[in-house]
Amino acid sequence: MAPDSYNPVNHRAVEVLVSKLRRRQVIGSREAALETVRVLRQVVSKARFSNIDQLVNLIRSVGKRLVEAQPKGNTVRKILHHIREEYNTAINGVASTSSKPVFSISNFVLQGQPRKQSVALKSEGSMTLKENDPDDPDSFARGLKPVLMEAIQDVLDELETVYDTVSKNAKDHIHSDEIILTIGYSKTVEAFLKAAAHSRNYTVIVAETGPSYSGHEMARALSSAGISTFLVPDSSIYAIMSRVNKVILGAHAILANGGMFAITGSLLAATAARVHSTPVAVCAGQFKLTPLWNLYHEFGALDFADPSSVLGFEEGNLVDKVDVMNPYYDYVGPELVDVFITNDGDHPPSSVYRLIKETYDDDDHEL
Amino acid sequence: MPPKSSSGKEKDLGGEDEVLQAVILADSFNKRFRPLTVGKPRCLLPVCNATLLDWTFESLALAGVQEIFVICRSYAEQVKEAIRESKWSKPSSGIKIVPIITSKETFTPGDAMRDIYTHGIITSDFVLVMGDLVSNVKIDEVVRIHKERRKANKDAIMTMVVKESGGVHRTRSRADTGVFVLDANTSECLHYEAVVGYPPTRHVKIPREVLAEHPEVEIRYDLIDCSIDVCSVEVPSLFQDNFDYGDIRRDFVHGILTSDLLMKSIHCYIMKEGYAARVADTRSYDAVSKDILSRWTFPLVPDDNHPGGHLYEHLRGNKYIAKDSSVVLSRTCKVGANTLIGSQTTVSSGATITASVIGQRCTIGANVVLSHSYVFDDTHIEAGSVIEHSIVGANVKVGEGSRVQRGSLVGDGVVLGKGARLGPFERVSRRRTAGDEEEESDEEWEEVEQSQSKLPEILGEGSNALVWPQGPAEDDEDLDEVERYNNQRLMRIGDTASDLHVSDVDLSDSESDSDAETDTTSGFSRPSSRSSFSLAPSHSQSLHTLSAAAADSEFQAEVTQSLERAFDEGHSVDNAAVELKTLRMASNVELVKVREAVVAAIVERIPVVQGDAVGQKREIGKVLGRWGALIDKIGGVDAVETVEVLQYHCARSARQPLFGQLLAALYQDDVVDEDDIRAWHSRPLAKGVGVKPGPLLDGVKYCWAVGQKMIEQFDAQGSESEEESEEGSEEDSEEEED
Repeated sequence: MAPDSYNPVNHRAVEVLVSKLRRRQVIGSREAALETVRVLRQVVSKARFSNIDQLVNLIRSVGKRLVEAQPKGNTVRKILHHIREEYNTAINGVASTSSKPVFSISNFVLQGQPRKQSVALKSEGSMTLKENDPDDPDSFARGLKPVLMEAIQDVLDELETVYDTVSKNAKDHIHSDEIILTIGYSKTVEAFLKAAAHSRNYTVIVAETGPSYSGHEMARALSSAGISTFLVPDSSIYAIMSRVNKVILGAHAILANGGMFAITGSLLAATAARVHSTPVAVCAGQFKLTPLWNLYHEFGALDFADPSSVLGFEEGNLVDKVDVMNPYYDYVGPELVDVFITNDGDHPPSSVYRLIKETYDDDDHEL
Repeated sequence: MPPKSSSGKEKDLGGEDEVLQAVILADSFNKRFRPLTVGKPRCLLPVCNATLLDWTFESLALAGVQEIFVICRSYAEQVKEAIRESKWSKPSSGIKIVPIITSKETFTPGDAMRDIYTHGIITSDFVLVMGDLVSNVKIDEVVRIHKERRKANKDAIMTMVVKESGGVHRTRSRADTGVFVLDANTSECLHYEAVVGYPPTRHVKIPREVLAEHPEVEIRYDLIDCSIDVCSVEVPSLFQDNFDYGDIRRDFVHGILTSDLLMKSIHCYIMKEGYAARVADTRSYDAVSKDILSRWTFPLVPDDNHPGGHLYEHLRGNKYIAKDSSVVLSRTCKVGANTLIGSQTTVSSGATITASVIGQRCTIGANVVLSHSYVFDDTHIEAGSVIEHSIVGANVKVGEGSRVQRGSLVGDGVVLGKGARLGPFERVSRRRTAGDEEEESDEEWEEVEQSQSKLPEILGEGSNALVWPQGPAEDDEDLDEVERYNNQRLMRIGDTASDLHVSDVDLSDSESDSDAETDTTSGFSRPSSRSSFSLAPSHSQSLHTLSAAAADSEFQAEVTQSLERAFDEGHSVDNAAVELKTLRMASNVELVKVREAVVAAIVERIPVVQGDAVGQKREIGKVLGRWGALIDKIGGVDAVETVEVLQYHCARSARQPLFGQLLAALYQDDVVDEDDIRAWHSRPLAKGVGVKPGPLLDGVKYCWAVGQKMIEQFDAQGSESEEESEEGSEEDSEEEED
């Protein structure tokens, strides 16, 4: 029974997700992450493998397909990390919870914050696992699968509760009578601000965020929650910045250098904030961390959407003569961000690399 | 252990929901892409390095279609093969694709629809598209609306998807469009009229009932017809019942809407978001390629969701380079904006590429200049060649230093020798070698082959190419209006057709700025040329006169003849009017010309009686009494114009002295009344403004003076309120007053 006779890359669920991602039917990084975990759960539950490498390769190949469709793949990396961890736990018994060498700075950063998803020792020494058992090639998979499923379920749970966990410290960041500026519609930021509103009385200024105008939706959501909200055009961000106490942004992806991709206009807001020395806080789930670097897009962005929201297609004469760039995301460099508020605590951009090292295995940076 | 072939069992085709079916008419039913489509169907032509068929499948997949029937005719085997090979036939794609081969006798989309009917494959409402669609529209949304409408009204049989574009748009066909008359509230299509680009369409007829029955009507000429139709099951059967329906728009839609018996209705869905267009000709090939490269089709863009499955990297300025780092770009080559370069292609030093698409495995030689051109796979372009606004097929070899000028089409496998010089709009294809086994005989190709025994010089040495004839075919006149040469020109890549007078707004803007009439018309059409008024943005007289003059004199002669016949044979006024109307339609002249001709003929009919005013008056009364009514029956009543025409005719003719009497007689016969005469009299033209000094001006002035007197009389009558009036040159008019 050759394990590669079952090719997960052609798995229907994978294929469906790939085309959904490509067709932009799955939008938003959290949605994408959730979908990915669900697909991977299916893949793992169906997979046949007799040693860990086969399993890792299998998930990697799936990850590769997904990354081609949408360049992230953090979730895949994270699941790989968890699988390795579970495997090590299972193989080595209770003794080594973490297979990683111990980094001193890591411990320093984590002091006072017990890791939330410290992989509880669920499979405590209950079985002995034999890899590549010639008599019963399935035994390894049989033994490991339940633990793996549990690990994946953990990731899923984390994703599902990410908004709550991010916003649990909201009131430590937002104080009464502050004026907060935010841009675009980010569910994380929305949850964060709403959580803060329980105990604080403050004002939010929302920029419209052209050309998607998702700021409108944000303003509506906030004001319906009873927060005093102003909606302003993007062009006035700089002008009102002097009155703003804090800028809170959402992120699409946080890069290894502490920079991030965020909705268009974020760079504008962050730069204006820097000029006025206004602190910039970014709310994001840990799943948005990615070990990738942004080397090529100095100011620009990753994802160019269609020009129709900038220039109407019915402007026949212009369509022919004008090239419109409509980047969906801005790249905001690490020097413009003061703190990342994640479900794993608050971190300055300079220590994002640590988070990444803890969340993902070095081997998986290239999928 | 047998592998569980991935997914066979867990396929859930939409559960209990009805499967959404689509029908693709893969054949073009025309020859616009020739010679590129020699030996290959149009739907397999690559657009941005993916076949048109793939783009169409992707568009449908995006819309959630689950079962697709592909109707193919020419090169059906190739289409089948392509479908089999493509990723769509994998079980994981979730789409079932069934190719259906129709007979060679299928010449129109209508025939194909009848074929669908006989196959009986359609079980529910379906989406009908052409095999040349590029779209990111959510068709499922349209289908939902259509189904809802059907629940309320069984007779709503079809929903056409159209896209707003504005009157002038690169993606909008100029040669083959239509005017949609829509109900503003229900978006029901009330009337459809096909419009061709040349000869320019100036008028569209809208049945009166449409305006009577619907309080608010939109007349739109700014819509791109994407040929996406959501049809009900009975649509194929309607085609079956009406065996003469050919084209879906000009026959079927027009037929259904004008039919008094069927009582079916067709709706339009005007999409505000999304993109959809057809690659119906080489011009739209160019436009759609550019739209894809400038990301209007997002997420259907090369770097994201390339239907061919290629991977491209998107660089600043909409440059797309294949991602597998197999592209070799020399250090000194220039790659401009809106360019796509396929994998394993090499671009040598000094080459300049702008707004072009290059296929896979091509080599571009040193110092080659490629602009606005499309190069298919495996083509080699040698050093120093220049190619602009052209399409070069696959496996072509372009010799050193060649020049391919705008609008040229180079078929697959052509070899152009060193220093070849292809003029504008040249079409060349490969000469068939003896060993070639053609699965389909191609009459046109053979014809071309026979006509060409020796190699034209423009192809360069060692070429294997055939030059296709340019210009209108001999049977051009017999062709459908759409297919005629001049109209086809509007569909060619790179052809601005600036020498043709086209009924589009852009040309009139540049050509007749000074024309006062333009201002009023473009005033109507300003916002988005929503009204049909923009169709006829004034006749640019300066350019028209030459050709018009000949047509005019011919028409004049015809009218005179037919009137003479009417006079001699004593036709009734109505019959004569009908005859004149027909003539006017046939030669497409303005109403005023007819009026001139009629007035002239009537005036010349009156015998001149010298020195006997009363006798003369009797003659005039006789003729005008018999024929005067005709003037108002030719299709429009405009008494002021009648007087003016009469004035100018008299000024020119020997019957100048009769003007006063004629005018009076017309007044008597109620052809003109007092207000008309006053209106005429106050017009600058009536005073001879703008007329060069000479006998004509004198005549005009004389007539005006006569009119002046008549008006004085009217005034006098008004004050005296009696028939008692002053003596003047108009004795007769005064005598006749009662």
